[in-house]
Amino acid sequence: MLNFVSRRVFFAIVTLLVVSAVVFAIFSLLPFDPAALTCGQHCTDQIIAANRIKLGFDKPLYIQYFLFLGGIFLGRSYGTGSAAFSCPAPSFGYSYNENACVTDLLREALPVTVSLALGALIIWLIVGVSLGIIAARFKNKWPDRVGSVFVLLGTSLPTFVTGLALLIWVTIKWKLVPLSLIGYTPITENPYKFFQFFILPWITLAIAYAALYTRFTRAAVLETLGEDYIRTARAKGVKERTVLFKHTMRAVFAPIITLAGLDFAGLIGGAIITETIFNLPGLGRLTLRSTYEFDLPIVLSTTILAAAVVIIMNLVIDMLYAVLDPRVRI
Amino acid sequence: MSNVSALRRAVVISAASALAISAVMVSGATSASAAVTPKTGGILTFLEHTPRLDHYDPSRIYTGRDLAFMNSFTTRTLVAYNPVPGAAGASLVPDLATNTGIPSNAAKTWKFTLRPGSTFEDGKKITCEDVQYGVSRVFATDVITDGPGYLQVWLDIPKDKDGNSVFKGPYKKDAAGLAAFHKAVSCSADHRTITFNLNKSVADFNYLGTYGVISPVQAKLDTGDKYDLKPQATGPYKIAENSKTQLKLVRNSKWNKASDPVRTPYPDEVIIMFGYDEEVIDQIILGDTIPTAVNFGEPLSTNNDKFFTNSTFKNRRMNNPDPYARYIAFNVKAMPCIEIRQAMYYSRNAKALLDYAGGTTYAGSFATGVISPLLATDYAPTKVVGPGSADFIPEGNIPKAKALMETAKTKCPADYKKATETGIKIDVRQSVALNDTIPIDTAAYARAGIKVVFNPISSGYYPTVMNPDKQSDLSASGWGADWANASTVIPELFATFGGFNLSQNSGDPAYKAFEDGVKQAMLTTDRAKQATMWKALDVEAMKNFWVLPTIFGKAQFVWGSQVAGVFFWVPQGNPAFGKMWVNN
Amino acid sequence: MAELLKISDLHVAFPTDDGLVRAVDGVSLTLNEGETVAIVGESGSGKTVSGLSVMGLHKKGAAQLSGSIVLKDGDRNIDIVTATDEEIRLLRGRAVAMIFQDPMSSLHPYYRVGNQLAEGYLVHNPGQKKEARQRAIEMLDLVGISEPAQRADEYPHQFSGGMRQRVMIAMALMNSPRILIADEPTTALDVTVQAQILILLASLQKEFNMGILLITHDLGVVAQVADRVSVMYGGRIVEQGSADDVFYKPKAPYTLGLLKSVPRISTHGSDRLKAIPGQPPSLINLPTGCAFAPRCEFASHAAGDICANDRPELLGTNPNHLSRCHVDEAVRDKLFVTELKEVRS
Repeated sequence: MLNFVSRRVFFAIVTLLVVSAVVFAIFSLLPFDPAALTCGQHCTDQIIAANRIKLGFDKPLYIQYFLFLGGIFLGRSYGTGSAAFSCPAPSFGYSYNENACVTDLLREALPVTVSLALGALIIWLIVGVSLGIIAARFKNKWPDRVGSVFVLLGTSLPTFVTGLALLIWVTIKWKLVPLSLIGYTPITENPYKFFQFFILPWITLAIAYAALYTRFTRAAVLETLGEDYIRTARAKGVKERTVLFKHTMRAVFAPIITLAGLDFAGLIGGAIITETIFNLPGLGRLTLRSTYEFDLPIVLSTTILAAAVVIIMNLVIDMLYAVLDPRVRI
Repeated sequence: MSNVSALRRAVVISAASALAISAVMVSGATSASAAVTPKTGGILTFLEHTPRLDHYDPSRIYTGRDLAFMNSFTTRTLVAYNPVPGAAGASLVPDLATNTGIPSNAAKTWKFTLRPGSTFEDGKKITCEDVQYGVSRVFATDVITDGPGYLQVWLDIPKDKDGNSVFKGPYKKDAAGLAAFHKAVSCSADHRTITFNLNKSVADFNYLGTYGVISPVQAKLDTGDKYDLKPQATGPYKIAENSKTQLKLVRNSKWNKASDPVRTPYPDEVIIMFGYDEEVIDQIILGDTIPTAVNFGEPLSTNNDKFFTNSTFKNRRMNNPDPYARYIAFNVKAMPCIEIRQAMYYSRNAKALLDYAGGTTYAGSFATGVISPLLATDYAPTKVVGPGSADFIPEGNIPKAKALMETAKTKCPADYKKATETGIKIDVRQSVALNDTIPIDTAAYARAGIKVVFNPISSGYYPTVMNPDKQSDLSASGWGADWANASTVIPELFATFGGFNLSQNSGDPAYKAFEDGVKQAMLTTDRAKQATMWKALDVEAMKNFWVLPTIFGKAQFVWGSQVAGVFFWVPQGNPAFGKMWVNN
Repeated sequence: MAELLKISDLHVAFPTDDGLVRAVDGVSLTLNEGETVAIVGESGSGKTVSGLSVMGLHKKGAAQLSGSIVLKDGDRNIDIVTATDEEIRLLRGRAVAMIFQDPMSSLHPYYRVGNQLAEGYLVHNPGQKKEARQRAIEMLDLVGISEPAQRADEYPHQFSGGMRQRVMIAMALMNSPRILIADEPTTALDVTVQAQILILLASLQKEFNMGILLITHDLGVVAQVADRVSVMYGGRIVEQGSADDVFYKPKAPYTLGLLKSVPRISTHGSDRLKAIPGQPPSLINLPTGCAFAPRCEFASHAAGDICANDRPELLGTNPNHLSRCHVDEAVRDKLFVTELKEVRS
C-alpha cells in the first residue's frame, strides 16, 4: 500500500511537470508577444522591450520555466525601485491584468468552484442515481419512460440554455430565488445566502450530469440485476428491495464513485459556462478571461491546478477502489 | 459595435457648438429630471457584463465610460465637464483648480491654481506636489500603462536618442531625470499653483485636465501596479470593495461639498455588479427585478425593440449618437491603386449592412468622414463620401465602381489582378455577426468584379492590425475623439506620428502635403481657423481614400424604475452617472 | 417415500419481439424425499427454465406460467404457479434451495463468504445474527472447508473453484431445505473436483434426507447419482424412467443419440463417437410434428409422414418408463439394442 502510494505520487509529480512544461511551451510558442499585450495603443518598442524584461520574457524559455517552478517553492519578486513587490511562496506568478499574485487569485477562486462542483455533485448523485434505479426497477414502464425523457433533455440541452433559462425564469421573472446582488458568500459566513447563491448553478450543472448518471445507473443496475449472484440472492429468499438496494447497488456503487470522482475533478477546471452565466468568480471564469487576454501566468496555473486535481482524484479513486472492491489489492 | 468597445477613447464637444449639438441630440429622459428634487440615500446599482473595469488607477483610465464613472464619484481632476444636460454639459468648469487653466507664452505654459480644502480619503490635504507626483507616474511607462500618452509627448522634457523622455517615472531613482521633470511640471512655493511647460503650443491643453493622468496621488501611498486596485479617492465616494464580483463605492467622509463645485452625491452607495450575462442584464431591466439597477453597457441589439417600442420604458431609456466614427482602413502600402480603393467604396452595400446592424434607429447613420457630428465645431459633411456626395447610393453605385475598375485594369494591372483574382484580404474582429455580414459584403463587392477574403481575428485584434507586418489589405476599425478637437482625430488616424494610423499612407504621393497641413493645423491657436483646417483635412483624407468610412454610431442606455435623474452627458458620450439618484 | 414436489403439465413461455418462446411445454414430474431426479438435455431444451420455475425465479410479466408446481412445505402444499411473490420468497432457501453452474459468478464478489451464508439464514430467521454466523461456520465445516471460522471472513475470489461450489452448497443448505435444485453443479469444475462435489452432495442428501433435482447435460454425472431421469428436448420431456431403464433400455431416439455421443475411454478412434446431426429446434417455431423428427434417423420407421405432422405423446408399455415416439415401441427396442451394443462394445 505504502509502496503503491509513493509510486503513484512520484508519477503524479512527473505528470504535473510534463503538463506544466507543455502548457508553458504552447503559450510561449504562440505567435503573440505577451509583452506587447501588456500595453495599449500607444505602445512604443521601448515600452514593449521594458515590459519584456520586467515580465522575464526576455530570458530563454527554459529559464522562464525554471523561474516559474522556482517561484512555487521560493516565491518571486517583481518590479524595481519603489514599485517593487513580491509574491510569497507558493507563487504561481503575477498577473499584470489583475494586478495580483496568481496564488491569491487561485485562493479566491478555488473555494467558489469547489462549492459549485461539490453541491452539484451531491444533487446529481442523489437525483441521477435515484432516477436510474427507478428506471431500472420499472424498466419499460412509465417511470422508465419519464426517466428517458429526462435523460434526453438533460443530455441534449446545453448548460448555457438551462442555466440562462433558470436564471431568467426562476430568478428574474418568477422571483422564486432572489437575485443575489452581493455575489458569492462563503458558507462559513452565511449558509443561507450561500445556498441561495448556489442553488441555481448547482441545479444547472446537476441537470446535465444527473441525466448522464440516470442513464449510467439504469444500465449498470440492469446489467447487475442480470448477474448470477443476484439470482443467488433471490434464491436465498432475500427480499426484492434488499436485492436492489444492497446486492445490486453494492456492485453499482464502485463505478459510480469512479465516474463521480473524475467528473468532479473535471469540473474544478472546467465549469466555465455555468460560472459565466451565474457570475461565479471561480476558476473557470478566471481561466476563460485569462485565456482571452493571454494572461500566461493565470492560464498556466489554472491548467496545472486542473491537471493536479485530475491526477489527485485518480489517485484517490484508485485507493478508494481498494476499499470498495475486495478483489483489488494494492 | 464590438470593435469600438476596445477603443480606449472618450469624446467631448466644445461649448462653442451648442446649436449644432441640440440638432444632433436625440431625446432621452432628460426633461423629467429638472422638475423633481433629487433624493438622497439608497443604493444605485450598475450591472456590467465584463468581470471588471480595465483600470481604476486614474492615471490608467482611458475608456470614456469608465472615465465618466470614476470621475463622477471618486476621482477629482483639475478641470471637469459640467454635468448638466444638453450643450452646456460640454463646457469646462474648474474642479480641483479654481479656474479652467491659464495659458501663456502662446499656450506653451499652462497654470492651474488648486482650491483650498480639498483632501484625499485619508484626510490629507491635496497639494500641488500630489498632482505633480501623479503626473510623474505616467512616465513610468512600464508600470503605468494604458492611459492617454499626451503628457509624454507634450511636456518639455529632453528626449534621449530614441526619442523617449529622459525621465522614466518616480519608481527609478534618477535625480537628473526627476530634475528635468520638475522643470516641466513645477509647484509654487505656497503648494497651490502647478505650472506645465510644454514643448509646443497646445491651445486645448486644459481639456487633458479632465483626465486622471493629471490628478493627485500621494507618493507614500503609491503601490505602483497595485495602486490600480484601490486608488485613494478625492471625490464624494471611495472604494470600499473591489472584488471579483463587485466594485462598491461608499461615501467618503473626508470629502466636503464646499471644496467641490461639480459633484452632488445622492445615493449612499454606488455598486457595479460584474460578470452578468448580457441577456440576464436586459431581463433584469425589462422585468424591473432590481428597480434601482442601471445597465452599465448597452442592451443587446435583439432586445432594443422591447425597450424602445414599449411605452412602459419611456422614462427608462436613452438612444443617443455615440462618439465613434467607424471605418475600414485601407493599407495603402498594400493597395496603392486609388481606383480600386474607390471601387470598393462605391460597390459596398452600406444600406444592407446598416440595416443588419439595426438601421438608423439603433445603429447610426452613414458616415461622411472620420470626424463625428458630435465634434460639431470641426464637423462638416465632406461631400466626398456618404450622404451629400455626388455619387453616393446607399446600396452601392455599381456603374461607377465598374468604370473605376475598368480604369484600374490598364492603370494598375497588378493591383487589378489581385482585386479580381487573388482577392483582397480584410481584417475583422471575430464575432457571430460575421456569419451574416461576410456574405453581404462578398456579394456587394462581387457586383464590381472585386473578390474579397476575410481574416477574422479572435484575440488581440488591435495589437495585430497595428503591426504593419501583420495588417492585411483592409482593417475594420473605429475611433472617437479624446476631446472636442479634431486634433485628437485627424493626426491620430492619418499622420505617421499619430497613435492609431492604420493606413500606412506615408508612401502615398499626397501624404507629404497632407502632413504639412496637419502640422500647421496643430499649431493654429485660433479655434475657428483651426476648425476650417480640420474640415479641409477630413475632405483631403477622404479624397485620397485612405479609409472607407462606414457609419457614425448610436448607443442605447436603459435603467430600472427607481433610478432617476438620468441624462446624456454629451462630452462623455455616456449618462452623467454622478447625477443619478434612487427613489425610495 | 413422501412426495416433495409434483410438477404437472408445466408450460413456461417468454414473450419476445420475435414471438413467444415456449421454453417449457407440458412438463410433468415428481420428486420424492431422499431421491435424485435428473433432468437431462442440451442447452435450450428447457431444463434450467424448469428448475428456475420451481424456485419461482421467473419474473412475473417476463414469463407466462401455466400448469402447477406443487411444493411440500411441512404440512402445507403450495403451488408455485399461483402463489404470491411473498409466499414464494419465504419458500426460497428454506423449503427449496438451488445451486448454480458457475460458483464464481454466483457468489457476490463484494461480500465476505460468511456474511453471504448468514444472510440466507437471517432472511428466514430475522434478528438471529449470532446463530446465523455460527450456522454459516458449521455449514462450511460440513461441506469440507478447513478452518471455516477464518475462511468465513474471506471473499469469494480467495477460494478455488471447487471450494466455491462447496460454499454454494453450504449456502443452499443453511436452512436445511427438503428440496435442492442443482443446476449443472459440476460443469464448471475439474473432473477430479466434480467427483468430490458429487460425493459430497450424495452424503449431504442422506444426512438431510433431501430430494435433489439435478439438472445436467452430463450423462456421466446422471449415471453416477440419479435415481430417475427425465430427458428433455425442445421444451418437452421425451423420455422418463428409472436411471437404469433410461441408460440401458433407451426408448426415445434422442436419448439414444445422447448415449451414443458420450465419449468413452474404451472406444478406439473417433468414428465411434457419434454426434447427433442437425441443430436443436427453435423454441419460437416448434415443428407441428415431433420436434426431433428433422434430426431423427428412425423417422422412416414410422408410418407415412406422421413424424413430421403429429406430435407424439409420452407413452409406454411400462408405466414407469415413458417416451415420445411414433415408431412402434417393439421396433424401437430391437433397433436400439443393436445400436447400443455397437457403442458399448
